[in-house]
Amino acid sequence: MMLSVRDLRVSFRTEDGLVQAIDGVSFDLAEGEILGVVGESGSGKTVSLLAVMGLITDPNAVIEGSIRYKGRELVGLPARELRRLRGNEIAMIFQDPMTALTPVYTIGWQIAEQIRAHHRISKAKALARVEELLAEVNFPNPREAMSRYPHQLSGGMRQRAVIAMALSCNPALLVADEPTTALDVTVQAGILDLVRKLRATHNSAVVFITHDMGVVSELADRVMVMYAGRVVERGSRSELFSDPRHPYTRALLDSIPPLTGDKPSRLSSIPGSPPSLLRLPQGCAFGPRCPVRYEPCATERPALGTGVHAAACLREVEA
Amino acid sequence: MSDAMTKTDKPILETRSLGKRFSIGTRFSAEGRRTVHAVDNVSLTVRRGETLGLVGESGCGKSTLARCLVRLYDVSDGQLLFDGEDITARSLASLRPLRRRFQMVFQDPSASLNPRRRAGDLVAEPLRIHTNLSAAEINRRVAELFEIVGLLPDHVGRYPHEFSGGQRQRVGIARAIALNPDLVVLDEPVSALDVSVQAQIVNLLADLQEKLNLTYIFIAHDLSVVRQVSTRIAVMYLGSVVEEGPAEEVFSAPAHPYSQALISAVPVVETTPGGGRKRILLAGDVPSPLNPPSGCRFHPRCPIAKDRCRTERPEARPFGAGRKVACHFPSGFDGDVAQRP
Repeated sequence: MMLSVRDLRVSFRTEDGLVQAIDGVSFDLAEGEILGVVGESGSGKTVSLLAVMGLITDPNAVIEGSIRYKGRELVGLPARELRRLRGNEIAMIFQDPMTALTPVYTIGWQIAEQIRAHHRISKAKALARVEELLAEVNFPNPREAMSRYPHQLSGGMRQRAVIAMALSCNPALLVADEPTTALDVTVQAGILDLVRKLRATHNSAVVFITHDMGVVSELADRVMVMYAGRVVERGSRSELFSDPRHPYTRALLDSIPPLTGDKPSRLSSIPGSPPSLLRLPQGCAFGPRCPVRYEPCATERPALGTGVHAAACLREVEA
Repeated sequence: MSDAMTKTDKPILETRSLGKRFSIGTRFSAEGRRTVHAVDNVSLTVRRGETLGLVGESGCGKSTLARCLVRLYDVSDGQLLFDGEDITARSLASLRPLRRRFQMVFQDPSASLNPRRRAGDLVAEPLRIHTNLSAAEINRRVAELFEIVGLLPDHVGRYPHEFSGGQRQRVGIARAIALNPDLVVLDEPVSALDVSVQAQIVNLLADLQEKLNLTYIFIAHDLSVVRQVSTRIAVMYLGSVVEEGPAEEVFSAPAHPYSQALISAVPVVETTPGGGRKRILLAGDVPSPLNPPSGCRFHPRCPIAKDRCRTERPEARPFGAGRKVACHFPSGFDGDVAQRP
């Protein structure tokens, strides 16, 4: 396994008490595999990946568990060592490309800097590589784009520039946090194609965070559904979409209006809203909103099974 | 309400070649003063009780158009008619009595609700401005509105930040329907919400429409949500409407190549890997409205563009019953361009 996360727990000390943002998340990722992580805001999908990247620097954060990258433990690794991996072997694409790029340098300068931070090559060589990379992410005129500042590019081009930067050192692992959420669907389609191409050419493993079930179903090999800091269901794409086992996954899929076929007169919605992490229900976190809850759900916290396709639901265990 | 039902076919809102121009730069800037046609030559008719969905990519002018429709922006060209009355150039003072009949719900409720005022106060404000109700009557009406939109009575004392995103949007909706408007313009009302909450608000809007006989103009970039709520659809590209028609027809058989590409780009959940849908990838980015392409504005990205498209701008022409398409070669119209590339 390239990446192996075991029982990851992230909590934050706050004025109102300890917030358990991530509560026992485990997953594996093999080379060339695309893992989709789905969940609503506050479900912990971003925090768990920030932990993998070693990007949680809040002094009030407590990170426990194990994150092994190619057999090497990342939790507790000195910042220097982490920095050597990050951007080089492990790269990340953020949701908002405008905040991921500095507005005061050109695109070309920024990507070249990233390359030179990890490899001892001349500026000229780095810039030549930048041109190649921009061509690879479908910039029509890469040489000209290099001299542009972020504000001179459209949203889609900016995100492609960020992707070019993430790819500059041929990362073995790419973490993408909602990279297409801020983009239009036509631009999103191009970015998804790009991610697929990268996997094919570089054999990179990709963790793709999104709240869009459609995106996951088009891109991911395996899917992990998160709710209130825990993984509630995992499985291969086809298993998860053809046979969703957790009531939350089912409800989430049902609440998406269809683009073709019959229009339901009403959408099936999930009552209530996601729980506050400060006041999680005692039993199953989804319990209060669940259509199939029964008594044990109020007191017992369901565990995620060990199977390839597993759901953390008491009904599931019973069945 | 009953006489409104009989007038179903009478347009509540109509635009005739509506345009909105913005001037940017000054005479001292490098390019001098320039004009952006954010909305250009839009003619739409919205009938009572229907929902017109406005779709298009960011920057296509859908929000600008929405703001023109409720006169939050002044219209630069053309005419705007509300319930048969020309309100294009009405002064704000003389517009005020009409205002209560058209309201707007904004995308981000945390930005459109004053954070320092309580929810009950926010919903009461339109009542205080537009009606002569006594304080007690206003309180009763606010309580009633809270119940209609699914908020609890004791929520009136809360501040916007004490609500979840979905609840905040409910406050925004309560405020918009407080005066029993005829028309509500909804600018991306569910885009900022989580999927599970989005469905609740979509359902609430459908219920309110039925109960209060509302007409909606619904703007969203999520096409499946637009399809769910709309009776008719208008697709915008670079400030103009390129296709308009009954929602079901536009979605199942889009005629404009841009509508085809847009609809094909929406990722949908498919249980069989690969799926059966063909995706039309558009080349390049949306051009700047400052310097729009010649002829058909879509031609540089259009997979079926021909010479004529480069020089001649297509007008919106009828395409089947109740449909209009602004394309020289709408699919299904011309045999040899009907198939997708």
